[in-house]
Amino acid sequence: MRTMLEARNIHKKIALGEDNVLHILRDVDLQIGEGEFVSIMGPSGSGKSTLLYTVSGMDRITSGSVVFMDQEISSLKEESLSKLRLDHMGFIFQDINLLKNLSLIDNIMFPALLEKHADKKAVHEKAKKLMEMTGIATLADNSITQASGGQLQRAGICRALINEPAMIFGDEPTGALDSKSAAEIMAILAQINNQGTTVMLVTHDMKVAAKTQRVLYMVDGCIVAQKHLGPYEESSDTLVDREQELMGWLVTNGF
Amino acid sequence: MFLKIVMNDVRRKKIISATVLVFITMAVVLGSSATNIIANLMQSIAQLKTHAVPSDLTQMHIGPYDQAAVDRLVATLGEHIAEQETMFLLNIEGSDIHFGANRTMVDTVQDISFVVQNRKFDFILDLDNRKLEIKAGEVAVPIYFMKTYSLNLGDVLRVESRGFRKEFVISDYARDFEMNSALASSKRFVINQADYDEMLAHQVGDMEYLIEFKLHEHGDLRTVRNAYRKAGLPSNGPTIEGKLFSLFNALSDAAVVMVIVLISLLLVVVASLCIRLTFLATIDEDLREIGVMKALGISRKDIRNVYLTKYKIVAAVAGVIGYGLSFLVVRAFNGNMRLYLSSDLSGSLQYVLSLVAPIAIYLIIVLYCRSVLGRIDAISATEALRSDIMQRGKHRKYRFPLLKNRFLGTSTYMGLRDVAIRIKLYRLLFFIFIVCTFIAILPLNVFNTMNSPKFSTYMGIGQCDVRIDLRKTDTITADFERLLAELENDSDIEKHAAYITCSYPAMTADGRWEYIIIETGDFSVFPLQYLEGEAPSDAGEISLSFAQASADGLDKKIGDTVVVQVGGVDKQLKVSGIYQDITNGGKTAKAGSSLGLQHDAILWYMVNLDIAPHADVSAKMAHYQSTYASAQVNGIKEYARQTMGNIIRQMGAIVIGGLAIAIVVMVLITALFLKMLLSKDMSQIAIMRSIGLSTRQIERQYMAGTMVVLLPGIILGVLAADYLGEILVSMAMSSMGAASIRFVGIAWQTWLVYPLLIIVVVGITLSLSCKVAVAEDLSVVLRS
Repeated sequence: MRTMLEARNIHKKIALGEDNVLHILRDVDLQIGEGEFVSIMGPSGSGKSTLLYTVSGMDRITSGSVVFMDQEISSLKEESLSKLRLDHMGFIFQDINLLKNLSLIDNIMFPALLEKHADKKAVHEKAKKLMEMTGIATLADNSITQASGGQLQRAGICRALINEPAMIFGDEPTGALDSKSAAEIMAILAQINNQGTTVMLVTHDMKVAAKTQRVLYMVDGCIVAQKHLGPYEESSDTLVDREQELMGWLVTNGF
Repeated sequence: MFLKIVMNDVRRKKIISATVLVFITMAVVLGSSATNIIANLMQSIAQLKTHAVPSDLTQMHIGPYDQAAVDRLVATLGEHIAEQETMFLLNIEGSDIHFGANRTMVDTVQDISFVVQNRKFDFILDLDNRKLEIKAGEVAVPIYFMKTYSLNLGDVLRVESRGFRKEFVISDYARDFEMNSALASSKRFVINQADYDEMLAHQVGDMEYLIEFKLHEHGDLRTVRNAYRKAGLPSNGPTIEGKLFSLFNALSDAAVVMVIVLISLLLVVVASLCIRLTFLATIDEDLREIGVMKALGISRKDIRNVYLTKYKIVAAVAGVIGYGLSFLVVRAFNGNMRLYLSSDLSGSLQYVLSLVAPIAIYLIIVLYCRSVLGRIDAISATEALRSDIMQRGKHRKYRFPLLKNRFLGTSTYMGLRDVAIRIKLYRLLFFIFIVCTFIAILPLNVFNTMNSPKFSTYMGIGQCDVRIDLRKTDTITADFERLLAELENDSDIEKHAAYITCSYPAMTADGRWEYIIIETGDFSVFPLQYLEGEAPSDAGEISLSFAQASADGLDKKIGDTVVVQVGGVDKQLKVSGIYQDITNGGKTAKAGSSLGLQHDAILWYMVNLDIAPHADVSAKMAHYQSTYASAQVNGIKEYARQTMGNIIRQMGAIVIGGLAIAIVVMVLITALFLKMLLSKDMSQIAIMRSIGLSTRQIERQYMAGTMVVLLPGIILGVLAADYLGEILVSMAMSSMGAASIRFVGIAWQTWLVYPLLIIVVVGITLSLSCKVAVAEDLSVVLRS
């Protein structure tokens, strides 16, 4: 399996005052293969989200190295990082983070239209297809105040997918949703992963983590353990077993 | 407690708080400066008038003079006249006054006279508004000359005339209420009595009398004036009413001050736009916070207190800073006023009046806060927390979808649609750009108009090359005839026309006789542009200046009849036209030569001429100047330039000043606006960056938005300065006799150089201030 993302010895420190430095990530090593579906769990403040933001280039690391698609990104200029995010990465946030002055379909198409010679018609078709796939086709022209949280998150996923990224990062994508919506979102992510897109997400939710192939467990800025659960089939009835297996493992690790 | 919350709030939102403070400070500075300038003008004219005690009625006279006859009249009019004094003017040719390295004052259009300070009233003052006391061998020079010839204290002036030679050391500047203005055609140099007597003994210069009257508070000017005429007292010259001096003072300074005040008022408009902008930009955030407080169950009263305290503190701090700064701004502006009208502007009036702006702005802000609080009462806490106040309540159809964009880059299009969506916010910036462009262009238009040869139209003069004025001397009639004969035979003269101006009694609308000045001659040779109707063509016609035709003058329309007495005979004249004239207090009239002359009341002779294309204009002018000693030969442009020179010079300064103000205001507001907008849109910008937009693409959005507001703003600003400016200036000038000013615009300046300059400056400001911060980690904003 080809390596999609590799982090070596990464540290992240934040200066809070003159003598007060917060050490959020401590010497973290991480490797994610192409097509993997990885989740990160851990108590609050363990550095899960920070790890996600630093390896995706949204936050700068203090030291170490991050290689994404064979390219060292920790030293890239802002402009090149943006381009990398636009072309090869997709992001899904807990707060959804759609642009408020755009309709749902415009929010979805926006990243694709930034390409200089974008074929508008093709982009529109693609956006419509994605909306159909996520079940929000009828809301295309709605403003973001005219959709529910679950619907907005689906639009967020569509936006993340519009440029056909190699990898999707999710920061608690189901955190603000009810369990039914959360399950639906996870089903969509699994489907995307099945189509070959690498997915890495941060979650508190055992049900969510149980659907991923590998779970990393973080404490105090370090990855202290990892669990390979193997691919999950939506049609199979193995979820409860996976959850129990995961639970036992987490408890062993002090969860 | 409230204070603590406020301080925390300020600390948390440094950029927004600083911008709000700067905007409100700017509003106070602009508002205070405007009121301060108006206060200074009022105060300085009043102070100067108090110290100078100008006369209410002045009769100028050349020729035999009998003081005893004047005294007899004064005795009979005791109930009207408080004081009478006659000033004896020694008129000296400019060519006889030498200074510096072989320079003379030959090129001035002003009549120069040497005088001794009056004893009773009409005092000539020094720059501290004290009555001038001049020692022997010294002279006080009018401010006009000090500026024109760059004279300094200690310089030497030499009078050389008819073999007499005397040197004077300039010991002071003369601030002369009656003749400060370049529009008053004479200037008084003040010398010591002994020197005056010496010059008189050597028959240096020509004697002219200023027979001056100071009236009682309720004295009637008309009665005195008509009694003087009826008594046949010396009146070989113009009669000048006191209010004309004020008008001249006002015109020469007020034309400039009026532009400054207009600019100031416009700046107040900008200031109020700034305040509104501040609120529109911060209201969402404020509402959200108020919503949070409401949701937490904090009482309405406490919410009100927190919110009001914040803005009260900001407004108070801005008020104090702005009030202080305004005095620096005003100081930079009223230099001319300090020089001509009063150097001591330390009175308390300006301090009190300048307080109006900060207090008004404070009240506006408090009222605005209350209306915001009113809005929060109308909506629920959750509503306040959830949505954007700018769009609230308007479930409009979705506008400007991205697919509608056919021609522009997506970033540019996003910038433009942002303008359309947040039109309320950008609209204010748009108005500010219009007003600033107006402020920059209007003085330029006025300046170009005053500098244009066409400006003579507003001075009641037809367009010609040269104007020859004959001064009153014993030989004036003979000189005039000799001059006309020579002009007739001079092949270098293309055409010429002679005009004689006399004072005639005319019947006013209420049936009284009033003396008016009428210029007679052939007005078809050098046609003047008429506001209405046309030049008088035959014996039965007269044309009136705008001010003379107005209710303040004879109150006549075209076709009305004016009754004028010529040599004791009543003549009925039909009004043929109305023209603009800002000379002689604006009240003049013109009639054909057949009207006949008032031989005992001829005021001046004038000849206009055009010189043939092949002839050398300056040589020709020099020839006539040297042949006729009493003649004043001037190129018409030079005449207008000198008469209007002071104003034109000051307008030149205002052109620079207006442009500077406009640019400073535009730069500041653009920079602040963008800082505020970028800070307000921080979370949206972070979202865009997270999905892969580069900072350059985001900056392009904001720059496109601002530019799309700037360009039409400039166009409308220039149009407003061209058309609205004309109306405003005409309104302002109508009291001075020019009711319909047509700007002589120089298109490459107003439509090319200025707009380009503004675009470049604002563009540079944009590129410098439109910087999306990249230092912080994106997650800090996205997760906050």
